Amino acid sequence: MGEIKLTDIKKSFGSVHVLKDIDLHIKDGEFIVFVGPSGCGKSTLLRTIAGLEKVTGGEIEIDGKRVNEVTAADRGLAMVFQSYALYPHMSVRQNLAFGLENSNMPKAEVAERITEAARMLEIEPYLERRPGQLSGGQRQRVAIGRAIVRRPTAFLLDEPLSNLDAELRVSTRAELAALHARIGSTMIYVTHDQVEAMTLAHRIVVMRAGKIEQVGTPLELYNTPANRFVAGFIGAPHMNFLSAEVVEQEAGKATLLIGGSHRLLVPIAGHELSVGDKLTVGIRPQHITLANDPGSLTVKVRLVEALGSETVIHADLNGEKLLAVVPGQRQISPGDDAHFSVAGAPLHLFDGNGLRIKDK
Amino acid sequence: MSTTTNTSRLGSLLMTPVHLLMRIVDVPLRSLQKATGISGMAAFFLAPNMLIFGIFVLLPLVINFVYSMTGGTAFFLAERNFVGAEQYSRLFTCGSYLDPMSCQEDAFWTAVGNTFWFVILQVTLMILVALVTALILNRDLAARSFWRAVFFFPVLLSPVVVGLIWKWILQRQGLLNFGLYQFGVEPYTWLTDRNWTFVATIGVSLWAHMGFYALILLAGLQAIPKDLYEAAEMDGTKPARVFWRITLPLLMPNLLVVVVLALIRAVQIFDEVYVLTGGGPGTSTLYLTQYIYETGFASALRNPGLAAAASILMGLVLVVLTLIQLGIGQRGEKKGKR
Repeated sequence: MGEIKLTDIKKSFGSVHVLKDIDLHIKDGEFIVFVGPSGCGKSTLLRTIAGLEKVTGGEIEIDGKRVNEVTAADRGLAMVFQSYALYPHMSVRQNLAFGLENSNMPKAEVAERITEAARMLEIEPYLERRPGQLSGGQRQRVAIGRAIVRRPTAFLLDEPLSNLDAELRVSTRAELAALHARIGSTMIYVTHDQVEAMTLAHRIVVMRAGKIEQVGTPLELYNTPANRFVAGFIGAPHMNFLSAEVVEQEAGKATLLIGGSHRLLVPIAGHELSVGDKLTVGIRPQHITLANDPGSLTVKVRLVEALGSETVIHADLNGEKLLAVVPGQRQISPGDDAHFSVAGAPLHLFDGNGLRIKDK
Repeated sequence: MSTTTNTSRLGSLLMTPVHLLMRIVDVPLRSLQKATGISGMAAFFLAPNMLIFGIFVLLPLVINFVYSMTGGTAFFLAERNFVGAEQYSRLFTCGSYLDPMSCQEDAFWTAVGNTFWFVILQVTLMILVALVTALILNRDLAARSFWRAVFFFPVLLSPVVVGLIWKWILQRQGLLNFGLYQFGVEPYTWLTDRNWTFVATIGVSLWAHMGFYALILLAGLQAIPKDLYEAAEMDGTKPARVFWRITLPLLMPNLLVVVVLALIRAVQIFDEVYVLTGGGPGTSTLYLTQYIYETGFASALRNPGLAAAASILMGLVLVVLTLIQLGIGQRGEKKGKR
């Protein structure tokens, strides 16, 4: 079992409130990812679950038991640190054994667990080496191995891939997903990389300034972000935001003015909008197409990034930045005028407070 | 933004004379390098330092060695007569090497014996006290910076001042006796009791130098990543096991440096003891450096040759200790690179 329930968690360092009223229910076996910009409190939240930080308020339950006063060691969790935190003066084998020896486990069982974990992570050839003699990727496996041998109720991973190079990160990411599928334990994973979050998570928790902004599956967050922050954070490149004004309204539909001159008809059924309302329209760069139609948005091209399989166009629409990712290779240069079409693109509407206007 | 530009503009303005100077210096240096090659340039840059080292370290060393081969009381080498290894054989002439009193130079062997016990006890205590101090200062205590400064301040004092301070405290009419008297304890002559003076010299040198070693150990403790302790905490490691299995092994390079430095400095002990006890009572706190000083300069029948010979012997011991330190340093570097 590895069910973790957080109720109204608060954490302050002096007068600085790092976590504010966090409520979250993590199901047994779930792979959950905390994501957010630096300083949003995601690592602190992980450390409070681990027991390395005491909460200022609220309740942490693991498998139905309140663990606020339980020490880190007795919570039955294992942590993989960003720096790996391997003991540099011990061999890989000793590193794996260290935690088990603390609980006076019989030597035979310690050896058996090490063998099993080493086989699973393919680190058998390095068992007698010291961490300093291993590559980054190998160290990372040892750090995970040290967590696995303890057979914890849940794994806590604090940005475990951030010290690896880009290529290794991609392959290790896939291995982590496979590992989770194999051992099926609850995993809580902290990252600031939204691609890691999208690819690994069952559910993503997006955090900002000590608060949870949205919890949902990767596609829920991508398709229906609850607010402007989540919309901008999830998805790469970031979503475009254009300021808009309601100029006409009829049953279930509204006409918005964007870019100073362009009119856009959007469905607004079930939502109260009135003429003169200021809104923000969010459009993902991948949903913009190039058109010849003069009725589309006329933009000034500022920068073109030809990536071969796709072309990223940075453009300017009456002073507002607009990014488009179009498939294939295009003959377009900075300084050109281009026509961007958003016909058929999923549009995300946000009100003055940045909250999503739900399209029912 | 504008602040940055201003700063960089100021920076480039300040650098202008430096660039100009470098351009002027560049001309002769370039032609020199053409003539001598890269390795010749290295010798050129090292030369001033080597000259100072040669005049003030190497040359006196050689002169000292020559002195140790001469006899008489005269100070100028030209007035001294060559006696070969006589001074050395005088130092080593003993009835029994286990009894200093049976030696021709009994004071030398008394000083060697005193220094030996001083080094053993002082270094052992120094390591323990410095380690405990560093461990305490590394914790989250209130006013941590203040305590760190408090323990380091004695290091800044000149040894003579250290000796005077403690003389003022320990002498018969000193601060300690005054304090004890308030509690009805009879004044005691701390500095004329053979056993107490020996203890006092150890205690005073501990007080004077401990801050330095504690600082080295503290730096070592702070270099141990916090993550390791958190990982150990997650693993449910007991504090004693954390100390023996994590802290101590990771502190070992610093600890070895401290041991060797403390050994070298303990062998050289002189100034504060000389001021505090003058080597007395009797010869109970006569250490090797004081013996050398008194034999060569201060005694009525001064013998610079004998003092030189004794200092050469002491120098050999220090060379061995220094080589050990260098060896440890190199091993540490190799480990770091791995």
